[in-house]
Amino acid sequence: MHKLWLVMKREYLTRVRTRGFVVSTVIVPVLTVGILILQIVTASRQAARTLNIVVLDQDGTLADSVIKGLDGKLKNGQPEFHIVQTLERPSAGAEDNLRARVLNGQLDAFLVLPAKATDGKVPAEFHTRNPGEVTISSELNHAVSYAVIAERLHARGVDIHDVAQVVQGVGLKVIKVGTGGDSEEKGQTIILAIVVGMLLYTTLIIYGVATMRSVMEEKTTRVIEILVASTRPFYLLAGKVLGVAAVGLTQYGIWVTVGALVTAYGAAMASMAHAGALPSLHLSWVMLVFMVIFFLAGYLLYASLYAAVGAMVSNDQEAQQVQMPITMLIIAAVVLFNVILRDPNSSLSIGLSMVPFFAPILMLLRITLQTPPLWQIALCLAILVLTTATIVFVAARIYRVGILMYGKRPSLAELVKWVKYT
Amino acid sequence: MGNNVAINVTGVTKRFDEVLAVSNLSLRVNAGSVFGLLGPNGAGKTTTLRMILRITVPDEGSIQMLGQPLTESSQDRIGYLPEERGLYTRMKVRDVLVFLAGLKGLEDDDAGRRVDEWLERLELRSWAANKVIDLSKGMQQKVQFIAAVVHRPPVLILDEPFTGLDPVNAGIIKDIMLDLRKQGATIILSTHRMEQVEMMCDSICLINKGQSVLDGELAAIKRSYGKNTVRLEYEGDASFLDQPDLVAAINHFGAVTEVKLRANADAQEILKAAVARGVRINRFELVEPPLNDIFIEKVQGVAHA
Repeated sequence: MHKLWLVMKREYLTRVRTRGFVVSTVIVPVLTVGILILQIVTASRQAARTLNIVVLDQDGTLADSVIKGLDGKLKNGQPEFHIVQTLERPSAGAEDNLRARVLNGQLDAFLVLPAKATDGKVPAEFHTRNPGEVTISSELNHAVSYAVIAERLHARGVDIHDVAQVVQGVGLKVIKVGTGGDSEEKGQTIILAIVVGMLLYTTLIIYGVATMRSVMEEKTTRVIEILVASTRPFYLLAGKVLGVAAVGLTQYGIWVTVGALVTAYGAAMASMAHAGALPSLHLSWVMLVFMVIFFLAGYLLYASLYAAVGAMVSNDQEAQQVQMPITMLIIAAVVLFNVILRDPNSSLSIGLSMVPFFAPILMLLRITLQTPPLWQIALCLAILVLTTATIVFVAARIYRVGILMYGKRPSLAELVKWVKYT
Repeated sequence: MGNNVAINVTGVTKRFDEVLAVSNLSLRVNAGSVFGLLGPNGAGKTTTLRMILRITVPDEGSIQMLGQPLTESSQDRIGYLPEERGLYTRMKVRDVLVFLAGLKGLEDDDAGRRVDEWLERLELRSWAANKVIDLSKGMQQKVQFIAAVVHRPPVLILDEPFTGLDPVNAGIIKDIMLDLRKQGATIILSTHRMEQVEMMCDSICLINKGQSVLDGELAAIKRSYGKNTVRLEYEGDASFLDQPDLVAAINHFGAVTEVKLRANADAQEILKAAVARGVRINRFELVEPPLNDIFIEKVQGVAHA
């Protein structure tokens, strides 16, 4: 058993030290966090200062009602816009003059309201040095449009406040009914389910293929000859599979921790910037436990298959061909996402989530969407564990013979013989 | 006798599907000796070694090591240098060796200390932190050799230990082998280089098509063939060797020519013929046949004259 531990330790340490692991584990979340922080910081900064602007009204008809609409307040209670000056029917050089003032910093921006704005043919213009401030431009757009609409309605003898009252809807609140209490649904459950499903899909393939490559490396470098002269093939296989699994769990651990920190930080920042309304992807502990269980079971199943492939081939091209059916099985689970998302409790969904090759992904998807009856989860796990045990047994036998065989890839009949060898 | 036998293979047979790799093979390797396992490609040498190493299990027969049947722990007492060399190319030299030593049952501290000693001895100390892939082929061979001996195994199996080594390094490895033997280790040497076998082995077993065709003490084997070969160095025309009734085979090596005599042929007749034709003889020596010839004769099934 000590030798199994040594094999596992080597597999884990050499893998964790690779550039690939560092990149995928550390840099990806760091980048994600960085981008998120950058967005939040810029979003909160843009609203932190009152903008000094000049309104330039070609007709001299709209300025008043537009300015009335620009009544937004900053967090500190100061107005969002300070109207330095309103120029009605300006002279020809007025815009150039204003441009110069924006450039030398006397002014933040100026808004140009076109002549005959109610025709809707010429857009209003906002001249600023920071055109990326999306909330400001949308606020301006809203104010100008509101003023123009009010003007048009007024021309038809209708008051805009009446219209606003007439077209007002009631809204719809979606409540998720769950065992842990009801919660308002803003689409976060489906997003979470898809994220979890995709995460499992990616890690199953990445770590399955990593196991296969590792077996192939030992075979092609012939180091396997010394290894099997030192310990049982089953220890070599088990140590490898468990070592890679430990790498996967390490990565999960880092991601979950970083994810939790980001969510907490993001929520704090978002409330400070009163951006709000980010649907938070809250992962409960129960979900996390299920994720680890299904990852491990699914990984053992697929890693054993991939390891057997690694043992029976002698080069990359062969590996590509032979691993195809296995990878297709995992991809098929992703293709079946839709069936589950449409109705997690249809008999088709239940049936598919019981198929051991799909179960790790599809059952987890169902659990995320809507916790199925316990007996279904139990049955699913039972089938999965039994299948996995069988596959580990068969794969170990193929591995044992395959690692010492070079030359042409075995036929199916030969594989059956390998499994039967004592 | 029992305790003096390091490896005892008794009536071992191994089949792969319909192919009979080893058939009813028996061999006995004395403790503290250097034993040559010889045979043409595909004779069943590797299969035999793998059974002794407990990589594969015989279908029939039994193998004993140091008086005991093979068990899982007997793997810890054998060192193995496979013909097809292999190490983890992207691991550091020292890490690979400590890992492999651990797989042979050494504790971590012990493994580290011994690996360092061996790296020092084979002048690889400064490469310890390099990746295996950065080493020259010769250096990788030495690393592999360390992996075979680091756990001080009482039985050492070396498959073509000298290939790829320059004469200096080959000399170092040879000295270590002799040193280990002096300390009581038993060495099984598998090679196609007959001159190495002649210089190092006490006993041999020649297998062909899975069966033993010749085995025993090397000196005794050679003696049984008698001095039926003339080793010649001469200047002049070779036509004095055209005597089919005397000469069975001629082997030109350039400077030296080996002439195998027919049964009951008198070497003196050849010397006479040479002198009669004015050929200058610098060396004329009656010797036992080289192992090379015995190998070829046994494998090709040429009748022993």
